[in-house]
Amino acid sequence: MTPEQTAAPINLAGIGRLASHLAMVVISLVFLFPFFWMISNAVRANSEVLAIPPILWPNEAHWGNFIAAWSYLPFGRFFLNSAFVAGSITIITLVVSSLAAYAFARLRVWWLNSIFVAYLATLMVPQAVLVIPLFLMMTHLDWVNTYQALIIPMAFSSFGAFLLRQFFMQIPIELEEAAMIDGASRLRILLTIILPLSAPALGLLALFTFTSQWNSFLWPLIVVYGTEHATIPLGLTMFQGEQGTDWNYMMAGAAISMMPAVILTILLQRYIFKGIAIGSGFGGR
Amino acid sequence: MSIARDRAVAIGARSAANELLAVTDPSAGASRKPRPAAAVGYSRRRQDAHAAIWFLLPSLTGLTLFLIVPLAASLALSFTNWQLLADPKFVGISNYVRLLTFDPTFYRILGNTVLYTFEYLTLNIILSLGMAVWISSLSWGKTLFRLVFFLPTFTPLIGVSLVWLLIFTPEGLMDWLVASLHLPIPNLVTDPNWAMQAVIIVSLWAGFGYNLLLFGAALESIPQSYLDAAAIDGASAWQRFWSIKLWLISPTLFFGMVMTAITALQVFDQVYALTRGGPGNATATLGFAIYNSGFTTYKMGYAASISWVLFVIIMALTLVQLRLQRKWVHYDA
Amino acid sequence: MTTQRLLATLALSASLFAIASTTQAQEPTEVSWLMWSSSDEQTAAWQYVADLVNKQHPDIKVQLQTTNWADYWTKLPTLAASGQLPDIVSLQSLRAPGFAQIMEPLDPYIEETGFDIDAFDQSIINGLSMDGSVFALPYDFGPYVVYYNKDRFDEAGVPLPTVDWTYEEFLSAARALTKDGKYGFAVTAMGYIPFALSDGAEYLTEDGELNLDDPKLQAAFQKYADLAAKEKVAPVIAASGTMSTQIASGRFQSGDVAMFTTGPWELINQKNKTDFTIGLAPIPAGKAGSITTSAGSGFGIAKDSDKKDEAWKAIQVLTGPEAEQYLASAGRAFTGRIAEQKYWYENAATDVVNARPALEAALANAVPFRTTPNWNSVEMLSEQYAPLAYSGAESGAEVMDTISTLVEE
Repeated sequence: MTPEQTAAPINLAGIGRLASHLAMVVISLVFLFPFFWMISNAVRANSEVLAIPPILWPNEAHWGNFIAAWSYLPFGRFFLNSAFVAGSITIITLVVSSLAAYAFARLRVWWLNSIFVAYLATLMVPQAVLVIPLFLMMTHLDWVNTYQALIIPMAFSSFGAFLLRQFFMQIPIELEEAAMIDGASRLRILLTIILPLSAPALGLLALFTFTSQWNSFLWPLIVVYGTEHATIPLGLTMFQGEQGTDWNYMMAGAAISMMPAVILTILLQRYIFKGIAIGSGFGGR
Repeated sequence: MSIARDRAVAIGARSAANELLAVTDPSAGASRKPRPAAAVGYSRRRQDAHAAIWFLLPSLTGLTLFLIVPLAASLALSFTNWQLLADPKFVGISNYVRLLTFDPTFYRILGNTVLYTFEYLTLNIILSLGMAVWISSLSWGKTLFRLVFFLPTFTPLIGVSLVWLLIFTPEGLMDWLVASLHLPIPNLVTDPNWAMQAVIIVSLWAGFGYNLLLFGAALESIPQSYLDAAAIDGASAWQRFWSIKLWLISPTLFFGMVMTAITALQVFDQVYALTRGGPGNATATLGFAIYNSGFTTYKMGYAASISWVLFVIIMALTLVQLRLQRKWVHYDA
Repeated sequence: MTTQRLLATLALSASLFAIASTTQAQEPTEVSWLMWSSSDEQTAAWQYVADLVNKQHPDIKVQLQTTNWADYWTKLPTLAASGQLPDIVSLQSLRAPGFAQIMEPLDPYIEETGFDIDAFDQSIINGLSMDGSVFALPYDFGPYVVYYNKDRFDEAGVPLPTVDWTYEEFLSAARALTKDGKYGFAVTAMGYIPFALSDGAEYLTEDGELNLDDPKLQAAFQKYADLAAKEKVAPVIAASGTMSTQIASGRFQSGDVAMFTTGPWELINQKNKTDFTIGLAPIPAGKAGSITTSAGSGFGIAKDSDKKDEAWKAIQVLTGPEAEQYLASAGRAFTGRIAEQKYWYENAATDVVNARPALEAALANAVPFRTTPNWNSVEMLSEQYAPLAYSGAESGAEVMDTISTLVEE
């Protein structure tokens, strides 16, 4: 309770608070408008998408467009591909990042600091610099149009190592000292003590990795072709053909493709806030 | 290059920037708990070195193969005239010379990139901080509101950009709204003086949720005792914000700024999908120029040289921010 | 297990092995083919055509790979750069010059096998040739024509376009059709070219160099741009990730623009997506008559392929009479083979006003849509800069000069 709230007449403060909440609701609704527009365009006839003047909600809502968009392309296949690719990258990232993060957080070796600074610098590399040489590498490995080409080169980012390191560093060292005296190895300590305590950070890292890979476009575009290995964002561009664009299906496809990430977030939402407070380096202090 | 990936990297990198600080600014690391000296014996150190090698091996191998090697390769490429369909030839620094002296669009594109970065960064920080403070003052719906503003993250870019395209397109929803309200605003995407504003609006809509979450979390983690103490001292809500909250979250604020700047300088996706650099080159940015040289005209060597210029600019700006932070960021909270 | 059973099992596995090894021996040569496709339905059609090859040449099997239209042109050069090209490469005539260097000239094969190249329309063979060599056999092509919304013409009481209509008639129709927030026409980034040719302006020089700084061409472009900038009979289409032709096509479908220009390849799609009657007309005649460009696509052989003979056999089938009849009947291709065009008229062009007379009139005066090797840049820059002229922010001459300078870069 803040002082002027107690000092001012209760009803006045109450009105102010109510107004503040209402204003936020209004702002949220305005902010969500593009999503409404997405759905509204998804359920109209293609010819109504670019109508002048714009039609806010179609006279006749074609909810069947969602089914049509789903079956127009092998969307089920894209869905599985996306889930497999994003899921694999997430798992590899979690494993690799945990190992590295533990080293940075706990081991005292003179050269670790320099390596850590180098890791930080890699975050400044523009993605555009890497794509072509990476593609050449894939062709030399004969990995073009394979799952491993979609997964492996994208599974190593220094970002996970940082995020987890921040978290590991604030786990009380005493917990480890005890295990160390019992003769437990470092790996064992990581697996049995550190990781179970780091669920929020791991959840956050999993969420970020999964959603960003779920939406990844340029790399899949370059490294696979055809529908066999295509992911959802590639699938969405297929509605833009040589013979015209199916705007309505594309909007429906975009709405469908949001769903897994949204559900994942709702499930993981309690981790998001905890995790970020730690990742920012502030909450942990 | 995907926006979502950049965003995710941005979040992670906030903690990274924290560490950069710890390295460059001795006071930053001061609050870290020192390890008991007795525990760090000679043999432990050797064991540590041994363990460190194994723990780092997977990520170091991966980063070397898929980041360092391609990065070096692109530097090498930037000294060639490689055009995808023909064999590359070594041309020395002539790509860089041409970029900086002959290219008629380079300085316009550089200017666009700087303008975008400056304006987007400013608005993003003001909006996300303001909203974070506001949301944290609410008594219900905090999580819900934060999720709402975070929602655009989940939409594939092609979907986001198409929705906004349908809003901004001439005689589309926006024009209809502007006309109905008799506002003196031209169509954003056909007017060369306004087109960048359209890109910034979409970027803010799609991107400010990250900083909102970040700052919100930082505000939540301010110990209530600090605020109570200030309240007893008779500070008003406004004073408490400026003198305490802002001061306390300044490290987080700083990371947000650094990382937003890094991703803003690389802006590509929104430009590509929403305005394709146009009208004219009103919204062409360095990220867009890299893609264009590489995948429209297939001049890979030239594209690589632009990307290295961008890399250098990003590093320079980040270093400047690291210098400036000593003047306003407080670590010993 | 009894001995008998064991023996039986052994015998069975031995015979299975024998079958397996004989099929191994007769395994047909696999020829890879990269083609664009935007839906399962289209992919199925291409698969059908690919299977025809195996039917006619049991020793050859075509392995179809597809990618969508826009991405195809990002993918092709990356594949070429890394030596990953398929044996059969699909090419569009507008982009053919840029890829000539990765393609095998077909002339020696044509001569050797006595292939009847004259069964194809000459203008598209020219379109798929570079410096006198043919690089691909066409499966479809078509002249750019005007599509119109007959219902809008009727409502406005405007007489329907005839096959010999003039620019003045076109303009007055566009003016009459522009009312109540709807427009008469749609301008697109590259759409000015047939109009310029009809006015006697050339976008390429005699030597095939870009001619965008030519005052005559710039004047013709200005006239086209003025349809949006001054006459206001066409909406301004902003530069965006969606090509201006796609937006124009969408505006036509929604009935917002009564006319736009495209080729016969879009007809089947437009018919399926609209509930009004579509009509076709040639490009309105200007000072030099009604001249349009024709463009199309076909299949060629990659220079690096090690199965060139099989690929040559395959592309003859892929563009052969049976495949063409199938594609034309499904409305997928206004065929490069002249004889099979009738199937397209009979199937795709039903209920379309004046489809045949308009296309025949257009074809009579069509020139191949010649391009330069850097056409990709020209097109991209036009998408980026042409809207400045359409909104009146810059003059047509300024826009053309800029594109010209930047392409040189």
